[in-house]
Amino acid sequence: MKKRITLMVTFFMFVLLSHPMIAQQNSVTGKVTTKEDGQPLPGVTVLVQNTTIGTVTDIDGKYSINVPSGRNVLLFSFIGFKEQAVEVNNRSVIDLGMEADIEQLSEVVVTAFGIEVEKKGLGYSVQKIGSEDIMRTKQPNLVNAMQGQIAGVQVTNSGGAPGQSARIIIRGVTSLNPGADNQPLFIVDGIQIDNSTVESPGTPRGLSNRVADLNPDDVESINVLKGAAATALYGVRAANGAVIITTKKGKAGSTSVNVSSSIGFEQINRYPEFQDQFGQGFSGVYDPSSFWPAWGAPISEVRQTVPDHKYQDNWRRAFETGSQINNNVNISGGNENATFFGSFGRLDHKGVIPFSDWNRTSAKVNGQVKVSNKFDFSSSLNYINSGGNRVPHDRFMERMVYWSETTDIRNYIKPDGTMVSVGGNTNPIYDAQFSTFEDNVNRILGNVTLNYKPADWINFTYRVGMDAYSDSRTEITPGPKGIDGEAPLSSTGFIREIRINSRDLTSTFIVSMQKRWNENWNTSLRFGNDIFERKFDRLSSLGENFVIPEFFNLNNTRQVFSDQGKSIRRLVGFYGDVTADYRGTVFLNITGRNDISSTLPTENNSFFYPSFNLSYLFSESFDLPAWMTFGKLRASYAEVGKDTDPHLLGATYLSPSIYPLNGQVGFTRNGRFGDPNLKPERTSSIEFGTQIGLFKNKIELDIAYYKNNTKDQIIPVPVSTTTGFSSYVTNAGEIQNEGVEFILKAMPIQRNDFSWTINFNLSYNNNTVKSIREGIDEIIVGSQFGYVGSTVTMKLVEGRPYGDIYGSSYQRYYQGGVPEGLTTLNRDQDLLIGTNGFPIRNGTQLILGNAIPKWIGGIRNDFNYKNWDLSVLIDGRTGVQQYNQFDNFLAAFGIAGYTANRNETRVFEGFLADGTANSQEVWLGQGVGPDNRNYGAGFYRNSYRGVSENFVQDASFLKLRNITLGYTLPPRILEGTFIKSLRASVAANNIILYTPWDGFDPESFSAGAGGNAIGFTGLGFPGVQSLFFTLNLGF
Amino acid sequence: MKNISKIKILMMSALMLLMGACDSWIDVNENPNNPQDAPIQGLLTNITFESTLNVYRAGSISSNYVQHLASPNPGSSSDIMEPLDYSGTWGSFYSVMSDITDLVRKSEDLGATHYAAAGQTLMALNLGMVVDMWGEVPYSEGFDFSTVTPAYDDDQALYTEVLSLLDQAIVNFGLTSTVTIGTDDFIYGGNIEKWVKFANSLKARYLLHTSGTQGYNPANVLAAAAAGMTNNLDDAKMNFFDQRFNPWAQVAINNENLLLGGWISTQFIEALDGTSYPTVDPRLQLMVGTTDAGEYIGVENGAGRGNAPEQGARSTLIPGQYYTSTLGPVLIMTYSELKFIEAEAAFSTDKPRAYAAYLEGIRAHMQMLSVPNDQVVAYLADPSVSMGVGALTINDVFKEKWIATFLHPETWNDARRFNYAYKDMTLPQNLNPDLNNQFIRRLPYPDSEVSRNGNNVPTVTLLDRIWWNQ
Repeated sequence: MKKRITLMVTFFMFVLLSHPMIAQQNSVTGKVTTKEDGQPLPGVTVLVQNTTIGTVTDIDGKYSINVPSGRNVLLFSFIGFKEQAVEVNNRSVIDLGMEADIEQLSEVVVTAFGIEVEKKGLGYSVQKIGSEDIMRTKQPNLVNAMQGQIAGVQVTNSGGAPGQSARIIIRGVTSLNPGADNQPLFIVDGIQIDNSTVESPGTPRGLSNRVADLNPDDVESINVLKGAAATALYGVRAANGAVIITTKKGKAGSTSVNVSSSIGFEQINRYPEFQDQFGQGFSGVYDPSSFWPAWGAPISEVRQTVPDHKYQDNWRRAFETGSQINNNVNISGGNENATFFGSFGRLDHKGVIPFSDWNRTSAKVNGQVKVSNKFDFSSSLNYINSGGNRVPHDRFMERMVYWSETTDIRNYIKPDGTMVSVGGNTNPIYDAQFSTFEDNVNRILGNVTLNYKPADWINFTYRVGMDAYSDSRTEITPGPKGIDGEAPLSSTGFIREIRINSRDLTSTFIVSMQKRWNENWNTSLRFGNDIFERKFDRLSSLGENFVIPEFFNLNNTRQVFSDQGKSIRRLVGFYGDVTADYRGTVFLNITGRNDISSTLPTENNSFFYPSFNLSYLFSESFDLPAWMTFGKLRASYAEVGKDTDPHLLGATYLSPSIYPLNGQVGFTRNGRFGDPNLKPERTSSIEFGTQIGLFKNKIELDIAYYKNNTKDQIIPVPVSTTTGFSSYVTNAGEIQNEGVEFILKAMPIQRNDFSWTINFNLSYNNNTVKSIREGIDEIIVGSQFGYVGSTVTMKLVEGRPYGDIYGSSYQRYYQGGVPEGLTTLNRDQDLLIGTNGFPIRNGTQLILGNAIPKWIGGIRNDFNYKNWDLSVLIDGRTGVQQYNQFDNFLAAFGIAGYTANRNETRVFEGFLADGTANSQEVWLGQGVGPDNRNYGAGFYRNSYRGVSENFVQDASFLKLRNITLGYTLPPRILEGTFIKSLRASVAANNIILYTPWDGFDPESFSAGAGGNAIGFTGLGFPGVQSLFFTLNLGF
Repeated sequence: MKNISKIKILMMSALMLLMGACDSWIDVNENPNNPQDAPIQGLLTNITFESTLNVYRAGSISSNYVQHLASPNPGSSSDIMEPLDYSGTWGSFYSVMSDITDLVRKSEDLGATHYAAAGQTLMALNLGMVVDMWGEVPYSEGFDFSTVTPAYDDDQALYTEVLSLLDQAIVNFGLTSTVTIGTDDFIYGGNIEKWVKFANSLKARYLLHTSGTQGYNPANVLAAAAAGMTNNLDDAKMNFFDQRFNPWAQVAINNENLLLGGWISTQFIEALDGTSYPTVDPRLQLMVGTTDAGEYIGVENGAGRGNAPEQGARSTLIPGQYYTSTLGPVLIMTYSELKFIEAEAAFSTDKPRAYAAYLEGIRAHMQMLSVPNDQVVAYLADPSVSMGVGALTINDVFKEKWIATFLHPETWNDARRFNYAYKDMTLPQNLNPDLNNQFIRRLPYPDSEVSRNGNNVPTVTLLDRIWWNQ
């Protein structure tokens, strides 16, 4: 089958085109089968050569087509089979056996602007996952559904909260800017949609990335464009790659209805190890009013005198079994001239932290109408309502740490509605119940596409789309109720109302032309214009100090503060794309795009960048050994420019939100100064790859090497505040990502009643900060609290990779003194022990680890046996360390399992400063030890908790991401009923198989998907595992 | 087919239109949230507000060093004088000084000499505090973004600048201003007479700091003081707001809500309750709270509260007293402080004047706290307080000034000049071992400077002294 880059909108477009328009014609019917075994072949495209008249074969492989007079050749084509041209010669019945095209890898992928092409002709890598692969994962968040399934794509679930954001990074972090969104562009049916994560002010509450609004059940396929060459046509917005989502469409034929219902249960998938021997108190002394949850006396000892004193197992009892109920119904159908699809979905999700929930309701309709042979249009409208109560998970987990281990955490509310407080601590469940934060998103995604094809060599497409949402958020923390002796959550109470309005408009115009010059040369040209606008407005009002307790309204507060943030960004792009193919063997594609961005200075706001990619199917020109079925080499070079956020340029003043005070409004310099000569960022990318099919393509291998350099990065460089500003937005620095991706697909067994398919992907990424602006030694991405100097910092330093975690450590013994310029901790080096017998803390921050995984990968095995199917997806990552803030807190409060050894003595292995081995025995406990020495607060509080080294830990994991077992009822059983198909399945998700990490799921992190400080787990919402039961019915 | 042609024309013309309108359509980058210019009134409002807060911020750093306050936790870094990162406070000072740079420049352009003068006065205040804490700091290359790594200026030269700014301010206050300061000034509400007294008082303060240096001339201090504040009504201070409580009041409120802070040092309690000195000071009950049992018990710096619970067993700041009322003032400089400056400056040359100023300083502070008159009289009549001109020692001046500048950063300047020689003041428990059993003499440079301007940051230890404290 020869390579044709045609604007094939969809299969049914051919259906539409087949509508008879010409009177004089010859009707041809027939049946298409496979040549190999004579099975009927549905979906084969049948075209009258040199016309736009065409059809597809039905379920029995049958077709019917009218051939106008003067035309004599029918073209039969189908993915995976050789294209055939058959002369009609006045026959009225033409049956055909189609020959499998073993030289071709079957995949058709969607590239920029929704162009569907065969993967074999591409000079860059694109990877696709289909509806089944998405739905099987049972992830309500579409981003999570991609986890482990695509090479080079790292998806990190920021926690187990209902609706919580997930972060997706393709081929590494590309920006030195700590606040940059390194995530790819999301396109749904040709229209850019918003995937931002707007976190809560104050304590983290695990808000959603906006792609979580999409109903995965509506998705037909996801194509991931990884490199700059793949995204060159999208320009500035896709500098981090692009995720192209195609939604389900109606198909001509009888109307069909599909219903799916699933119910799932979830619980925390992993706990740190806790000690259960010591209860409330300090210094080994029991005290029921102590602030300290677990530094008290042995529980068994206290029970002798206090009968109900026991380990309460609060860490398990505080959490609940979460649930997900997901119902979807869709209806589709149509005829040759019009098709439609409609769906309705509802998800109810309750989390494991009490009172956390998130719901999503989605309604979608789309339709395609063929007006004439030359003109058709389609339109889609999707309404979504989502939101829920977002519990303050960081604060919840922190309060879990403080809560007495020997006091029932579930007994949290008194009859008068006030809180039961122990040792002055807030009960986390009470806080989760009453300190609420509700979001309510109303969103509309819509688009209209017009296609006009005046001749078969030229096509005009115009598409306009909108993504508009309002996000209404209300945060309430009640003040005192006015009851004597109550422990209020806040001395004043507050209500915060946030209103966010965002609207994206996209307009795309494409002209496509193609010409086959002769047998050898085929070319296509595409050019067009692309316009984008985003308007964003956020209004926030904070009212403090309620006049009437528990009457939660801004009007009922004594102090009100408001602030507003608006932005507008506009972008105009012009692009062109030329493709030439020679005998279907060599493909050359050149693109160019010029963007004009409103965010850059006028003199620098227009910028051009090209891309080139070449692919060569060497299996077409050489005689390869028989086992090598297909072989292709590809290479590409691309540049992409990138603009910045709006309204950054120059110096401005701002009025702090504290004003007005006494009727006066104060102004101060905005700490950010934007370089008035800002230039666009430049990413240049090279990629080499090969695609090989072995043993009649039973094994397919795809290997890619890439190197991306992003130069002239636009970064808010932190500058000395003595300059008059605290950050300077300028072009500063370069970052490089270099990596390799392997994709392996194998079909070891393909029999009629049993098949086994393996999909494997593995990727390696090496990131280097090549340079930072002169005068700046480091850029701080973020830091996270640790007790007494164990706070860790993520810094970018020239020559080092992104994601280095710096922190305090134990001093090491070096013969002949500490080496000069030591920046990285060597954990294998012996400890230096002080004269007191304890290791010595080194407060100078060293590199303790790196938070960007070196290797990520996944493997999916699919088995089909008769009507049974089993799918097992395992994914993992390695070469990654994270700061375990939980562990820091658990150590400081005597809750961690290892602190149970507090009453033991030990000799710390290591050397004294004079080089002799340490032999001093010391006690780990608090107060006066058995040796009559006063150990004060004890080893864990005096030393251990203050050393970051103890808490920067290997965060590798191997996870059983998904296992699904399904049974499809044989159609013959359903014969004669109104049900067409029935499938029942059970799935389990997110079961940790292996991790050296001591704590909750190492995947959770507190920054949320919008942040880059992923090396900090914080006290995030613990990860969960889940079990689902699903029923799918077709009518 | 007609329809199709129309659509085609429409599409093409739409495209042309968009291309043509592109330039103006794309020009939407002006910041809709933050203006490109600010009125001098708005700048002055924020400058007076933030300068006052800077006094509080500096005071909250130094109050543990001078043992007004102590941490409830053992070995707390501020108590035991460990290096702490004050990037935030540093940033607040430089932010205000940047705003003042703009205010002075704009005011001079407008001929608004009074605004320029207020700016110069507060620049002197902020710069003086920064130098007193950190010594050499950026100034001459700062504020205007001429370099991203401003050089550090010599601290003695910066003192010359502080005094020069005050002189310029005094001159400018004397000129006619095209714009009149009003309620946009949160300190004096536009009262220029008081501003002039304030500028002169500041001059006396900074000249006095140099008492241990060669160029010191007490006559200059006395001359400046003579033009300074003349009663408590002249105090430079800012009252707080319903929307924003006094920060010390907030500390006290937070402490009540178990966000522990504002615990009183044993040193302070014992100085006022008759332990260290013969008299019981009537101000004690107006400055700090009691235990549940009605006693005054402090916390020893560095030792922590021991077995005491979070509440009720130690003296802390409590809401509603002079220093801790929600709408009450943060004091920038008081008449009382000026009298003690006068007492110290006159001590060697005119002792009767020194003695009179010493007594007036105590009286002024007591009146400020609304100590009942009979108690003022009784305290001032105590022979340990009114020891007579001959018996007055410099230690007496420092002791009373230490009480009268409660929570104020000026106390730390005094303590360092006085070598922390207050009666019964001992090194904190668990003292930072790097200090070799000595008191802290300066702050370390903040991490933000080390990270962003590292090549210029001088290498110092906490024992390295500011130029006037050599």
